[in-house]
Amino acid sequence: MSRLETGRRTAAPEPSAAPASDEAVPVIVSTNLTVGYKLHRERKRLTALRDISLTVNAGEFVVLVGPSGCGKTTFINAIAGIVEPWEGSIEVNGRPVTGPGPDRAMVFQDYALMPWRTVESNIRMPFELQDLGISKEEMDERVRRYIDLVDLTGFEKSFPYELSGGMKQRVGIARALVSEPDILLADEPFAAIDAMTREAMQGELERFVAKTGQTVVFITHSIDEAITLGDRIAVISYRPGRIKEIVDVDLPRPRFDHDVKSLPEYSELRDHIWRLVKDEALQSAYGDTR
Amino acid sequence: MNTIGDNEATAVTAAASAPESVSVTEVTDPERIQDTKWTAGEAWERHGSKLVTVINLTIFFCIWELFARSGAINVLFLPSASGMFSALYDGLTTTSPPGAVISGSIRDHLFYSLSNLSIGLAIACVIGIPAGLLMGGNKYVETILSPYVWALASLPRIALVPLFILFLGFTVKMQVTIIVLSAVFPIIINAWAGVKTTEQSLLSAARVFGASRYELYLKVVLPYTLPFIISGIQQGIGRGLIGVIIAEIFGGSKGLGFLIRRAADTFDSALMYAVLFLLVVVSLTLIQLTRSLEAYVAPWRRVDKV
Repeated sequence: MSRLETGRRTAAPEPSAAPASDEAVPVIVSTNLTVGYKLHRERKRLTALRDISLTVNAGEFVVLVGPSGCGKTTFINAIAGIVEPWEGSIEVNGRPVTGPGPDRAMVFQDYALMPWRTVESNIRMPFELQDLGISKEEMDERVRRYIDLVDLTGFEKSFPYELSGGMKQRVGIARALVSEPDILLADEPFAAIDAMTREAMQGELERFVAKTGQTVVFITHSIDEAITLGDRIAVISYRPGRIKEIVDVDLPRPRFDHDVKSLPEYSELRDHIWRLVKDEALQSAYGDTR
Repeated sequence: MNTIGDNEATAVTAAASAPESVSVTEVTDPERIQDTKWTAGEAWERHGSKLVTVINLTIFFCIWELFARSGAINVLFLPSASGMFSALYDGLTTTSPPGAVISGSIRDHLFYSLSNLSIGLAIACVIGIPAGLLMGGNKYVETILSPYVWALASLPRIALVPLFILFLGFTVKMQVTIIVLSAVFPIIINAWAGVKTTEQSLLSAARVFGASRYELYLKVVLPYTLPFIISGIQQGIGRGLIGVIIAEIFGGSKGLGFLIRRAADTFDSALMYAVLFLLVVVSLTLIQLTRSLEAYVAPWRRVDKV
């Protein structure tokens, strides 16, 4: 247990009580955010998200659920600062987002590990790209600690192509955690991982963020994953993406150990969210393109 | 594969239930990986193709030898295999007397051709790699240079040889120019393509973790493009070798191309075949070298290909 203790963030005073409902400190504030991208060849501008207003508090785990193509990724990219808002605003820690910063880190669906770098070197990468004002020794120590946290000790010198999907994503998670950001963004991180490993990874992620007390914005297509992980679930509608409803999840943590899936509240929540998503999913599957 | 998968599953459950550090090596069952011997079938599967190749080539040269000795084809066109090998051996072992105008040693001509090839390839790399990288990285450079690159790349280089003979005469400069022109375009085009096809998710990841534009190029685009550049050089070697031979066949009194021409002029078919055989060996060796280099700098690509 002790090896995890040092990873604790100062942002959340008591990491195990993640949803700090009484003294909520807003960390991400999105106000009437409208974003999209240009389709150059067709000379059109596509609105991916419209009027998104969402506040995420410190230490909160918010999950975005919605059909493919509803703009969830665009939202998370806007928080990360690699997509610019068209209208409205997005603020992180009280300051408008103007670009990427060390207070935010992301875990990617396709891992996005540099294939020419070893596990250790991939995890070290954030230190090379941004100045966190920490010493060389501290960097080494953190790299070691986070490799240990994601149980990759012994694989430091392996290359990503030598690892299984689950292990690759643990490298991705360690890389995101190593700079100890306030906010962890996860874009369908477990989508490409097989079902059994996926469940285990959900448990691990829950454990990591319980330790570090990070604020998490997590995208998934899986309602089960959303309920297993989220404090709140924002259901996003299909094209253009709007917030349809925000659902509070009041299940005991750690949910992986509590076996929450057998609770009656779980299936109620599941039904409720499925009813919200159903039409959107059908539209995404059969409906109009764009 | 199994080893990794099982370890992982064990590590995951161990970590979830008992977070005390359980190292992966500890949970591995020592009985799980055991020594085993190849059966005859497995040995054949692994090394059979090498054996087949050796037998195959031996039979090929034997048939050639018998066919040539039968006299079905005039020796002026087809020497015996043994004749070719002995010409090759003689050519490689004799040393030209000092002061000879034309060397009788294949070795001298081989070194001449290879040194021209290396100079040409070095120049082609120095021009081609930055040009390709710039074209991939900058829209304006790309727009301005691409018509010339495509025009010259699609032009059969042999058509330029008379022009360069006119300009530079039968000199080393002319030969090196031909080699550079032959080799530079595959290098440019591959480097360019490498930059252009750099995986978007890797770029996004680097940006999220704070990479500046300069760092994106240095830490993502460049390493990603490196194997592309090496395969460009590999193609460049093939093209460059054609350039060497063409330039030497056209004129001059040195090099393997010159030897081929002279062997043809003097009806020395054994020498001609010896040079052709040597060219095959040189070309295969160079290409194999770049393959190994590629596998060394980009092992992940080798895995993707399998």
